[in-house]
Amino acid sequence: MTKPIVEVRGVHRTFGAGPTAVHALRDVSFDVEPGTMVALVGRSGSGKTTLLNVIGGLDRADRGSLSVDGTDITRLDEDGLSRLRREKVAYVFQTFGLIPVLSAAENVGAPLRLARTPAADREKRVELLLDLVGLAAHAEQRPAELSGGQQQRVAIARALAASPRLLIADEPTGQLDAETGRSVMALLRGVVESEGVTALVSTHDPVMMALADRVIRISDGRLHE
Amino acid sequence: MRPALHWPSIRGRARADAGPLLLSAVVVAVVTFLAGAVPVALGDTADEAVQAAVRQAGSDADVQVQARWEYDDGSGGGRVRTARSAEALDDLRDRSLDELGPLGEVLLPPVELVDSPYLKIVNGAEPRSFRIDYVAGGSGPAVTWVSGAAPQPSVARLDVEAPFNGPPWPVQVGVSEATAARLGVKAGDRLQVEDDNRNPKDVRVSGVFRPTDPGDPAWQAAPWLLNPVHGRDGAGITRFGGMVSKDSLPDFRLAFEPDQTNRIVRFSPDPALLTLDSAQRIVSAVVRLKATSASSGDRSTESQWWTQLDTVLSDVQDQIDAATAQAAVLLIAVTTVAVLILLLAAELLAARRSPALTVARQRGAALPSLGLELLIESALVAALAAGAGALLSALFTGAVAAAWTLPVVLAGLLAGPAFGVVRAFRATRDRRVPANRGARLVARRTAALRRLTLELAVLAAAATALTLLNRHGVLPSAGGTVLLPAAAPALAVLTGAALLLRLLPLITGLALRQALRSSRPLAVFGAARAASASARPLPVLTLVGAAALASFALAVTSTVDRGLTDGAWRTVGADARLRVASDSVVTVPETAQRIAATPGVRHAVAAQVVDVAPLVVADAERPARLVIVDSAAYRALLAETPLPALPSLPAALSLPTASSPAAPNQPTASGPAVPALVRYAGGHVRTGDHLKLPRQAAPALDLVATGIAPAVDSSEDLVVVDAATMTAAGYQVVPDTIWVTGPGAGQAAAAHSGEGLVDLRAEVEASRRDAPLVTGLIRLAWASAAMLLALGLLGFALSASAGAPERWQTLSRLRTLGLRTSEARRVAAGELLPLALLAAAGGPLLGLLLIHLTVGPLSLRLLTAQPEAPPLVLPWAALTVLFLAFPAMVAAVVPLESALRRRRRLAEVLRVGGA
Ligand SMILES: Nc1ncnc2c1ncn2[C@@H]1O[C@H](COP(=O)(O)OP(=O)(O)OP(=O)(O)O)[C@@H](O)[C@H]1O
Ligand SMILES: [Mg+2]
Repeated sequence: MTKPIVEVRGVHRTFGAGPTAVHALRDVSFDVEPGTMVALVGRSGSGKTTLLNVIGGLDRADRGSLSVDGTDITRLDEDGLSRLRREKVAYVFQTFGLIPVLSAAENVGAPLRLARTPAADREKRVELLLDLVGLAAHAEQRPAELSGGQQQRVAIARALAASPRLLIADEPTGQLDAETGRSVMALLRGVVESEGVTALVSTHDPVMMALADRVIRISDGRLHE
Repeated sequence: MRPALHWPSIRGRARADAGPLLLSAVVVAVVTFLAGAVPVALGDTADEAVQAAVRQAGSDADVQVQARWEYDDGSGGGRVRTARSAEALDDLRDRSLDELGPLGEVLLPPVELVDSPYLKIVNGAEPRSFRIDYVAGGSGPAVTWVSGAAPQPSVARLDVEAPFNGPPWPVQVGVSEATAARLGVKAGDRLQVEDDNRNPKDVRVSGVFRPTDPGDPAWQAAPWLLNPVHGRDGAGITRFGGMVSKDSLPDFRLAFEPDQTNRIVRFSPDPALLTLDSAQRIVSAVVRLKATSASSGDRSTESQWWTQLDTVLSDVQDQIDAATAQAAVLLIAVTTVAVLILLLAAELLAARRSPALTVARQRGAALPSLGLELLIESALVAALAAGAGALLSALFTGAVAAAWTLPVVLAGLLAGPAFGVVRAFRATRDRRVPANRGARLVARRTAALRRLTLELAVLAAAATALTLLNRHGVLPSAGGTVLLPAAAPALAVLTGAALLLRLLPLITGLALRQALRSSRPLAVFGAARAASASARPLPVLTLVGAAALASFALAVTSTVDRGLTDGAWRTVGADARLRVASDSVVTVPETAQRIAATPGVRHAVAAQVVDVAPLVVADAERPARLVIVDSAAYRALLAETPLPALPSLPAALSLPTASSPAAPNQPTASGPAVPALVRYAGGHVRTGDHLKLPRQAAPALDLVATGIAPAVDSSEDLVVVDAATMTAAGYQVVPDTIWVTGPGAGQAAAAHSGEGLVDLRAEVEASRRDAPLVTGLIRLAWASAAMLLALGLLGFALSASAGAPERWQTLSRLRTLGLRTSEARRVAAGELLPLALLAAAGGPLLGLLLIHLTVGPLSLRLLTAQPEAPPLVLPWAALTVLFLAFPAMVAAVVPLESALRRRRRLAEVLRVGGA
């Protein structure tokens, strides 16, 4: 049996204190097997984003342990988390988060620049990824000149650029219409297969759940499988 | 429909954004204070300046009227003794008061005077002169007779006829105790005096008096009546005086030829009564008065008016106009930048409030209601701030120049609501970018066209203002309004800033392309951020405008500062100058030698300076100042001063009479021509031209221009020739001026003050610096520069803070890609640096270009007392501070922003931003 890529044990996350405290995560534990696509579903305010942030190192758990690809991320300092994000974890956000003045290709190449990949390799990889997300023809366009679905594809290509082990996507289809959302989902499903990456995707979308290898439900900060 | 107001929102918003609101309030208050106080202070200073100018002009500002006596020809061929002479003088006084009309209101009670020509005291070795005077003022001047008695009529029959060609007519005079002691005379003595033609005069001492009040203004008309005066009638000559009484005045007249004594009434202006407002009226009254004046050749008893009061007043008025215009330039500059800052602050505020405004709109608040709510808030803030500024202004100056405060108060009032309403409108309108490409293009073109129109409007205004400024100067007397030319620098800076605003995206775009080619990821992200931030117009306009106008103000201070020093050098011509009356041929070169031998003196050069030499060039009169000087010694003197060097003067030139007989400027008489260095403001004379110096009883002297006279003196037209060459050419050189340099120059010259008028450069400069207008303007320029710099830095902080949410949102995203915190700070610096560098470098460049274009038209020379516009002096030290200030702000702002966000986790930052 392969070692889980994500191990979550007894994680708590509480915002605020006293009577107004919000318990966003309560004693959350689960594992994610490598190369799988896991859907995280739950009502608004149930704690999906909080959980993904804690796993990705954007936020810290109050209690519990978290390891990503064998690294105990609760012990990492800021620079360690930066390295983690540079090397192992990539994000796709609901709002795409592309850099407006850079072309689609340059946006995709950004993580490779941070990783100081040689220019030739970078260009080759960018070309490959844009091809993968079906945007080879739009490489030189800027985000404002792309549709929402196209922008999210660029964001996915960027997330994959540095060959992460784990892809975290927080409602990647939230701002897209149903049709476009579905094709983006299909793309995500596809890259999990082709790139061998593990994906952790939060969603409201039933279709997404159908595409996932596994669905984890969360409500009020507690998991229900 | 009445807009519905939601008071809790008004209060809530104000509380949430207390910081930016307070900041706007401070800007409004400070600028209201400055703009409200400066014009008032300037008005007060202007009155002070008028009074100081009149005080300084002394007797030049006096209005003097002179008239001949009535004919006193007798039936027997002699002259009739006119017993009522004093009354005739009173008649002239009364007549003049009538003619003065309202002008009389600013004049002190007049002094009546009858002055004798120069008399020589023949006994004694020391050169002494003597004057007989009759003086009368309001109360006398009262005297007590220490010995003897007041002068009496010298005949018993008061209307006797003096025979033609008789012996000198006796006249009794009273002398002061000092005079009696120095001359060794007592009551009853006859003075040994004769006139210019060696005719003895019969002057008898009737008594010795003591003035009741030596400070009586009447004595000012003839101070030698109280104490002997040295140097007044030529170097080394002491002038004594004797006073005639009402009773002996008729004899005084008969003792001289009829036209040798005149009736004089002298009015001194009362400086305390003069204001800038009255000055204009006085000038026209004086000009009218002078127009009615009889000419000096007139043989009638008509009044001849003489005064320099009009010139003194119009000169100071020009100075005040110049200072007013320069102050207007600075105030407009500060106001412009302050308005931009207020717009920037309002934009920032609106951006911060965007979510709240959007929510309010979605809840159904109408735009007019929102606008009114915002207006209530800004009205309160603006009113409190403007009130505080106005109060300060009133405290310091006693009044507020309300019109000047209007722009900044209006900006404070309207900017906030305007930006807020636009925000709210944009947030809730259907703002989907048009789907089809054509419609998008049209929208973009419309925006570009709107911007171009705006830019062209500013450009046109700036061009008009600059043209006006260059053609007419800033002085309203030249026929323009003050405001538009005074706005020229601010408008030109805005135009330049708009150009830089166009340039900045090109620069950042270029930088981005360059960075993309490099392998440095931080450069790419920094350049990308800079490129997306570079399109915001207000930061560029504000920062470049502030830096440019601050440099402009700094250059004004440094140029005026140097101009004052240079102006004093040119006025005096050396560290000290001694000017003696021209009838002391022998002593001037000797005095120069004695001064030169004094310790601490480096050079002492004697020269003859003819203030207005009647030179003729090609049959046209070209009067100029003629300096006849030992050119080698003068060159050595000038070489050690900041004054320009003196080009060499060749020895006398023999004329090539035969070679070019047809040349228009060739003199008719052949012979050697005296080489001259020549400078005419109008450029009338070129090298090679001949100048003729007419002489009495001799053919005109021929001068030839061999070079350009250096700007060593305060006249516009100057001719310098060598003394030895002039002597060789047959001109009798009579030195009357000594220039002295060296650390001991002042003392050495002052030691000879008895021989003439001493001017010290340091004193001339100090008195000009202390002049109220100059001090006021320099202070204002410094204050403006400091304020503009402060506003510029504030503008930078505001721009940085307006861009901060977007900047850190992007940086947070980049951090999800693995960017470290320290790297994020460097990317942030990369974003802010282009704007800072643009302001730091482009601003000063623009400001200096502008002062270069306007230094002449600004009439700074009127304050520095220079004949031409002062050369531009760059304030390097201050410019360096200015240059470093903006990048330093980047170094301060970035760590601060980063520290402020340090406590917030990445998750939170990402959650907040929606963009
Ligand atoms: N910084 C914070 N401070 C206080 N409470 C917070 C903070 N961040 C999240 N919460 C609270 O934690 C709970 C979980 O929020 P979370 O964003 O994880 O929900 P979510 O499942 O992602 O919701 P959605 O589907 O709407 O995105 C919510 O009740 C939210 O209000
Ligand atoms: Mg969420």
